[in-house]
Amino acid sequence: MKSWSLVIPLFWVVAAAVAPLLGLQPDVIHLEHILRTPDWDAWLGSDDLGRDILARLLAGARVSLTVAMTVTVVAGVAGTLLGLVSGYFGGWLDRLLMRVTDVFQAFPGILLAIAFAAVLGPGLGNLILALCLTSWVGYARLTRAQALSLRARQHVEAARALGGSPWYVMRRHVLPLLAAPLIVEATYGIAGLVVAEASLSFLGLGIQPPHASWGAMLRDGVRYLLVAPHYVLAAGLSLMSLVLAVNVLGDGLRDAWDVRT
Amino acid sequence: MVLQAFGGVGVDRTPARLLRWGWRLGCALCLLANIHMGWAQEIRFAIAQAPLTLDPRYAVDAASERINRLLYRSLVDFDAQGRPVPALATWQVHDPWHVSFTLGREGRRFHDGSWLTAQDVVATYRSLLALEDAPHAAEFANIAAMDAPNADTVVFTLKDPDADFPARLVMGILPAHLIARHHDFSRQPVGSGPLRLVEWNRTLRLERVADRQAIVLEEVRDPTVRVLKLLRGETDLLQGDLPPELVRYLKRQPGIRVEETAGTNFSYLGFNLQDPLLKNPRVRRAVALAIDRDAIIRQVLIGGSRPATAILPPEHWAGNPALQPLPYDPAQARRLLQESGLALPLKLTLKTSTDMQRLRLATILQAQMKKAGIDLRIRSLDWGTFFDDVRHGKFQLYSLTWVGVRTPDIYRRAFHSASVPPTGANRGRLRDVELDALLKRRDWPAATARIHALLPYVPLWYEGQFLALGRGLQMRAPAPDGNWDGLATITRGVSQ
Repeated sequence: MKSWSLVIPLFWVVAAAVAPLLGLQPDVIHLEHILRTPDWDAWLGSDDLGRDILARLLAGARVSLTVAMTVTVVAGVAGTLLGLVSGYFGGWLDRLLMRVTDVFQAFPGILLAIAFAAVLGPGLGNLILALCLTSWVGYARLTRAQALSLRARQHVEAARALGGSPWYVMRRHVLPLLAAPLIVEATYGIAGLVVAEASLSFLGLGIQPPHASWGAMLRDGVRYLLVAPHYVLAAGLSLMSLVLAVNVLGDGLRDAWDVRT
Repeated sequence: MVLQAFGGVGVDRTPARLLRWGWRLGCALCLLANIHMGWAQEIRFAIAQAPLTLDPRYAVDAASERINRLLYRSLVDFDAQGRPVPALATWQVHDPWHVSFTLGREGRRFHDGSWLTAQDVVATYRSLLALEDAPHAAEFANIAAMDAPNADTVVFTLKDPDADFPARLVMGILPAHLIARHHDFSRQPVGSGPLRLVEWNRTLRLERVADRQAIVLEEVRDPTVRVLKLLRGETDLLQGDLPPELVRYLKRQPGIRVEETAGTNFSYLGFNLQDPLLKNPRVRRAVALAIDRDAIIRQVLIGGSRPATAILPPEHWAGNPALQPLPYDPAQARRLLQESGLALPLKLTLKTSTDMQRLRLATILQAQMKKAGIDLRIRSLDWGTFFDDVRHGKFQLYSLTWVGVRTPDIYRRAFHSASVPPTGANRGRLRDVELDALLKRRDWPAATARIHALLPYVPLWYEGQFLALGRGLQMRAPAPDGNWDGLATITRGVSQ
């Protein structure tokens, strides 16, 4: 596993966590500093409202990681539970749940998220809800596929024969064996969610002004590409570094644990 | 040897055959040269949004209105002070119910060669009144009858007296024979304006009637791409719809000439006067005092922008130069809110579209109002949802711009008690008996002063206009309302 793939996400997590303690003012407007180039007072320059780009990058990282982590946990738990129940019990319940996941999978995830975000309205809470509604499907399909094969294993059958309740068997004998593929799936999911949050904010459906978001910074920065390229570069490179590192981390984990999803 | 090369074995080597080949080659070269010269001499204009329709009876978007002014001619136009002046016709008011228009000699040849007569005028307005879905039809509901006693005269009979009636007749005139055939003017316009449509596929290809100068309008949505196209010579002209930073950038580029002019398009912050908080005039005044217009105009608006006091600018004949812009005084704003017994910060929501410049301005207003104890939350919505909410009164605050307003009738539309949507544009639901009486008397100075005191909206600024021209182009300064009339006279001078 590449060490930088661990260092970069850790850097952003730590930076996002300590940013509020640094006394930065990401939302304070200085009209006289509009699109200022980087200098000692503003290391990455100022944006189109004279706000410090570095402070906004850190605030944006906080938003991105909060959204990605929250959605991963909520969608991961929900999807895993549904997939586990579906795969373990089979029968009509399996068919019903899989038809529901088929319906969700029939639409491209980001388009469905855009539709939900448009209906629910902009804002952090609605953004998380929209992404949760579209992100559970991958976990459900993966868990079901694994559960279908695991339920036929001898140790699972033995646990059932010894009188273990379905919930007990799933929790103690099936779920632990699903941990590795689920963690790998979650790692890729985080990268996808960071991009999805940026995409929705880019479209104006995510974080609302004055709060910072990498997607909104990219959207604003593109307008000033000719006069202030540092603005869009700062946001673009930050987004790229995090997504690339998390994806490489996922690859490393998959190889290390020999997971076949 | 040459013939061998062209024809190979069996070629007729007579001089006649040689001449034929020479002739074909010459024609091909001429054709190529002609195409190249045509491309080089056409004037290309990159626009942010293509027109939706070229039928003036249906046009409501700015691009359609601006092109239609060039494709068609109307009976009446406006001077710099917004007074109606003759265009196709002069007029005479016989009594409060009868106005006659006499067509002049200029601009009466339709692009299909037919001659514009009084019958065309009558047919145009009759067809407009007959269309149930035409957005402008309601403005002409006061017409009781139209007659054309001869080819040059039209007499309008009104249901009710209307001193502003001539100023309403600014719609382009269509040929009666094509109206009768239900011609599709939206894609194949036939007018008598200075430009005619040649082709509308990916681009809009126009030709100036006077000298056959080709003018091509191309939709380029991204502002950065529009600027790059101008710098690379792929377009010759830009007008409006650029962030001020890019306009300043263009000013620094060699070979690009940028002209700015004072604008008349009026931006404002609208209040919902039915809102429990905003029906209090002190709260509205506090919001107005919390905005530093001068700083915004100086830093984030195009040159030529200026503070506004009313929808019509002071130089308009119905403008009111006596009105003073509200000062920036956040301390006084905070005091007013505290005197109103409100807990600070006062939470208000501003609705706006997803347009980048609108969002940017909303974010600045949010920061400025914070100093006055107002917690302004921004809701950016797609245009359809946003405008629907505004029309239905589902807002506390909203920001919009009145574009191309020329007559004081706008005050009746925007503030009269009887003009609440859908019948009018009184979106803030203002109801004031005294103002209604002033509007009925057409006492514009008193009416605008009353509106200024009632503060149903915060007048923000008149947005400036700019024009960026490529090398060698000559065009008059941009119009205050941002119209594209300059295309009627634009010329390509000697390259520098």
